[in-house]
Amino acid sequence: MNVEQLVREALQEEAAAGGTARGDLADRVLTARRRRNRRGIAGAVAVTAALVAAAVTVPELGGDAEAASPASASINGDVVAHPDQSPPRDMIAAGNTAVSGYFTGRAVKQPDGKELFSRYYTVLDQKTGKYKALDTKWAWVDVAPGMRTAAVLEGELPARRIGMLDLMTGKVERWIRTDRPVAGVEWSPDGKRLVATAYSKNPDRIDRPQANRTGFYLVDAASGEVGPFRTLRQPSSGKWGYDGNSREDVGWSHDGTKLYVERLKPSNGKSDNRAWYTTSGAKTAPPAGERFGGLSEAGLSPDGKLVAVNGDSGGSPLVNPKTGKKVGLVPGMQPLAWADSKRLITIGCDPKKCSGKNEFRNQLLLVTVGSKKAVPLSGFRKASADYLGRWVPLTAAR
Amino acid sequence: MDAESQERFREFVESRSGALLRTAVLLSGGDRHAAEDLLQNALVKVADRWSRVDEPEAYVRQVLYRQQVGRWRLKWPRREVAVAEPPERPGDGGEGAAELRVVMRGALARLTPRQRTVLVLRYFEDLPEANVARILGCSVGTVRSTTHRSLARLRTLAPELAALGRAPAETAPPRGISPVEVRP
Repeated sequence: MNVEQLVREALQEEAAAGGTARGDLADRVLTARRRRNRRGIAGAVAVTAALVAAAVTVPELGGDAEAASPASASINGDVVAHPDQSPPRDMIAAGNTAVSGYFTGRAVKQPDGKELFSRYYTVLDQKTGKYKALDTKWAWVDVAPGMRTAAVLEGELPARRIGMLDLMTGKVERWIRTDRPVAGVEWSPDGKRLVATAYSKNPDRIDRPQANRTGFYLVDAASGEVGPFRTLRQPSSGKWGYDGNSREDVGWSHDGTKLYVERLKPSNGKSDNRAWYTTSGAKTAPPAGERFGGLSEAGLSPDGKLVAVNGDSGGSPLVNPKTGKKVGLVPGMQPLAWADSKRLITIGCDPKKCSGKNEFRNQLLLVTVGSKKAVPLSGFRKASADYLGRWVPLTAAR
Repeated sequence: MDAESQERFREFVESRSGALLRTAVLLSGGDRHAAEDLLQNALVKVADRWSRVDEPEAYVRQVLYRQQVGRWRLKWPRREVAVAEPPERPGDGGEGAAELRVVMRGALARLTPRQRTVLVLRYFEDLPEANVARILGCSVGTVRSTTHRSLARLRTLAPELAALGRAPAETAPPRGISPVEVRP
């Protein structure tokens, strides 16, 4: 053998070990081209951008990166926005949180002439990174942290079994039976347990409010083991009938140690609040840090330093969790979830565009503590709050 | 680029990226990350001219080769290339063929991009000297002299190769050497 032959063999060996290009190469090239063209127009704006893979599952974006994406998308670092999509078609995410899906509500006339508020769910398809409508037989869906599984209930509610829907395969992996029928399920923040709220009748019937909640179960997600039934009825009806909502589900505290139910404007004149319970259903004090959260879905920040409270078209207050004192204001009306300890996903108008004038023409925004800037994550939701059919975003840790 | 062109571009990348990446890996001396950068830059260039390019693969390959040569011409600082094996190992004279290939891969990684490009074109793509000269935009004499010097450099880098027979390209002293172009 001479050197030439060895060079030939070594090169062939090296080539064989070269592997294949990552699947999104074409997208990365097209994105790099678009970015370069944009920079050219803007006039040599210095942008450091490393290309990262925008996986079709849940992209793990890191650093100051701009990733490959469909033409409409804007991906900047760990923010995936689709400001022209309403309802969203492609995944929206920021920091540790993603929009796991959404539902649209509609009043559906029943054979008995009464109406039922029906939810139609669309959730993120882990294979394509796009939102995909679920089978309409699922009347209740809650996507687990990590977005691999969703807990589902069949209509008409209440249901006697909870399905564990695998979002990769679209199939129910397991059914968990409950002795008493349940109409709502919520994952614990760590994704290990579920709280299932039991009702004797469908709480989504559009009728005068009825107190049909019977109690709740805790379910271990890994084993499917259902804990003992805990009685937790709605307060007894007053002189004029029950004055709460028919659906008042049990939810988890931020640290997953306590449970709450929402009370909407109770007759004692107090504002919206939450009543707190231990995991065995005994009354308890609110957890430290959640006394001043009101009904905000986002509530306590991951580092426990701030509480995001529901606001109005002028913005949402941030309060000190220990004192309840207002320490800041961020754009947006309805904080949905913290992306990290500094950024919030919220619903609001882009302050530049609507000047807080029309609270019903709103969109998903990403806002930052200490900043008045809002980054649009979705297109605008139309119509008024009571318009049935507009999409309601759901969020989950990714 | 309209949607249809983008679709055709995607199809091209999907079908040919494996082969193109293999070439890019060789040109980069086994540095996978550098290879992906190299290929991506070349693909951006072909995407820019998509409607005017008849043979996209040939075009991308030409860009790959010339980019490598351009790196040398521009006197960019040489990148240290991480290799799995040290390029020079104490030889006991009994290395098997597989071990020699490992030694050779290490030595190839330490050539200049231009030297490596010429060897890839000559011995991996199996192109005649005239074609290599046309692709790189230099004379046949330069291709010949660069090949000669590159093989000699490999022997210097890996003393284990001393036992190998001399190749025809090593024997005849090259003529028409341009000192600038063949400097290692």
